[in-house]
Amino acid sequence: MYAASAPYGPAAPRILLVDDDPGLLVLLADQLRNDGFEVQTARDGEEALRRLGGGWPDLLIIDMMMPRKDGLTLAREIKAQADLPIIVLSAIDAGDSKADLLEEVAEDYVTKPYHYPELRARIHRVLRRLGDRVPRQSLVLGPNLTLELHRRTAIVAGTPVQLTPTESRLLYALAANLGQTVSTETLLARGWAETEDADPSYVWVTMRRLRQKVEVDANRPAHLQTVRGVGYRLVGTETG
Amino acid sequence: MTDRAPLASRIEQHALAEETATEPEIALDFDVPEEADDRRGLGIDLPFRTRLTVALVAASILPLAGFGLLLVAVGGIGTEAQTLGRLLLFAIALAAVLAILLAYLLIADLTGPLRAIGRAVDRVAAGDLGTPIDLPGEDELGRLAESHNRLAADLERRNRQLARILAAIETTSPRDGVDWLVGRAAADAREAFGLIDAEIRLGSPSAVPAEEVVPGEPRPVRATLQTGPDPTGVLVGHLPATGRWERADQDLLDLFAAQVAIAIRNAELFARVEAQNAQLIELDAAKDDFLRGVSHNLQTPLARIRAHAEQLDAVSPDRRLGIIAEQTDRLSRMVRQLLTVTRLESGALRPQPEVLSLAARVRRAWEALAAADVSFSLADDAEGWLAIGDADQLDQVLWALLDNGVKYGHGTPIEATVRLEVDRRRLRLTIADHGRGVPEEDRARLFGRFERGSDVAPDEGSGLGLYVSRELCRAMGGDLVLEPSARAPGAAFTIVLPAEAPEET
Repeated sequence: MYAASAPYGPAAPRILLVDDDPGLLVLLADQLRNDGFEVQTARDGEEALRRLGGGWPDLLIIDMMMPRKDGLTLAREIKAQADLPIIVLSAIDAGDSKADLLEEVAEDYVTKPYHYPELRARIHRVLRRLGDRVPRQSLVLGPNLTLELHRRTAIVAGTPVQLTPTESRLLYALAANLGQTVSTETLLARGWAETEDADPSYVWVTMRRLRQKVEVDANRPAHLQTVRGVGYRLVGTETG
Repeated sequence: MTDRAPLASRIEQHALAEETATEPEIALDFDVPEEADDRRGLGIDLPFRTRLTVALVAASILPLAGFGLLLVAVGGIGTEAQTLGRLLLFAIALAAVLAILLAYLLIADLTGPLRAIGRAVDRVAAGDLGTPIDLPGEDELGRLAESHNRLAADLERRNRQLARILAAIETTSPRDGVDWLVGRAAADAREAFGLIDAEIRLGSPSAVPAEEVVPGEPRPVRATLQTGPDPTGVLVGHLPATGRWERADQDLLDLFAAQVAIAIRNAELFARVEAQNAQLIELDAAKDDFLRGVSHNLQTPLARIRAHAEQLDAVSPDRRLGIIAEQTDRLSRMVRQLLTVTRLESGALRPQPEVLSLAARVRRAWEALAAADVSFSLADDAEGWLAIGDADQLDQVLWALLDNGVKYGHGTPIEATVRLEVDRRRLRLTIADHGRGVPEEDRARLFGRFERGSDVAPDEGSGLGLYVSRELCRAMGGDLVLEPSARAPGAAFTIVLPAEAPEET
């Protein structure tokens, strides 16, 4: 179902890798280059910002705990400039309170010690959304639904509802193709990494749960519509 | 707010004292001498009106009648005397009639004011303090009316004071701090008691010497602040020379001082608790930082070891490199488990419920354990249903259960079974080994913190695995249970998780 390497045509995706551990930095950069990525490295936040001045990468991989400027601060500064996808690589696991803050700014979270195949699968998943353009701040779909995907929140009839990372990835893919049907296969590739053994039923169940979250009446969905046997469609009530 | 109940009861007591103050002996001036007991009279049990009538009639008739009887006795037998006697009897009868008439008029004049006073007392008893008795005059009745009016006015004044004190006490909060409370209470006392000045000094009351009362000068007033056995301060102030200060005023001031003392003590306790809370929050943050640091410092080298082993293995495959990678994972999982325990304690565990296939997840977890010498079988009867849970947290549970199965099953085959409970919309994943099982005496405490089976060496495992696993399952809306030994030969643990049907809707 997935191409293991170089699925991006002639231009290799560019990755900026930021980690204060030089040993890991060199090693991971080598692993990524072997898989066809173009990799730049930075030892800390300041160096990372300087490198960004020379051109935007397609993806950033940032260590959370770094001296001087931590990963969260760096990620916020970068997000303030551009909607670059960020994967956080951290020794602190995802249950930590600081990791919660990171979820505002990071597309994904990989815990150290990482398994390289797992990390590569996450990178592929994130890169699949390249080219998608979704309004940065809020996407108003109707009086009862506004999406604020940058903070993983849907505002349903005035009440903020927290979305899981998978839910917000699916909504991102649907919002980038507003009004058009997105196939179940595409949603599957956007929502889950290859390593997660997902099949179409993951998409069905997640969409059903998502509908219960964001629709006022889940039995008569106004925004999240099923195109039976094909996929799903996100529509705004104002535009029809 | 713990002082509310005693405060209420004290005020109630005071209100009772106010009510009974309608009896004269409480509210009169201190310098009024003890009065003789005038209430009993002759001790004849007749209504007041009748007694008065009898007294008046007797007073007017008795001298005349006595004189007539004397005349009859002295004059004896003469006809003139008889005529005079008749005349006298007639005069006595006439006098009697006149006396009775006069008595009625006098009684009306006397009892009218008394009834007015009686009605006024009734009004006071009913709570109307604002209507004085209008009885001019310097006689006893006039003075009685005046002292009643003064009593009612005093009552009204104290009611107002009490209301002010109550309002002052009700509106204080321990958050206000001691300094603010002290200033505020002094101002309240000044206003409520009509003082020229008032001040609260904390510390021993003996440090503030009592002032003499000098006639014509402002009168010093004073009350001790006390909550426990030892006084905590004193309230001192001055009343204008023209002001009145009675025992009830002093009682009220004492009550006020007691409440102020309670409020100050509460503020002190609150400040102490606040300081401790701030310290705890600081310590908690320090603990989090410490754990983060420990985790970082342990995981970073592990990450490096793992990455190198992985890369080397890719270049020139070697079984030993795989073992290195697996053992690093194992260490890393133990560090994570410790972190999870601390998060359980602080309630910071927030699962992200996602859709996942239990069978696929358990197979991957088994592969990660890499226990190649133990046989593993997986039966998936989920009928495609997907569990709802946090993948990371579920992995921690699966690793712990599978690891236990390998450890305590002593190499016996491990069987994993996923079953669907359609009507309850949930999946049950049972992981069973064929070892000795869990002894009866261990079953109840198996899920406690730092508990190991009684036949397990103390240096084996952290004793946290099952505790953490059950908490994680419950946080995901499921549970973790130990199957009864009758149903399984070894130890069999079942994870229960909410599930959803694989339908496109």
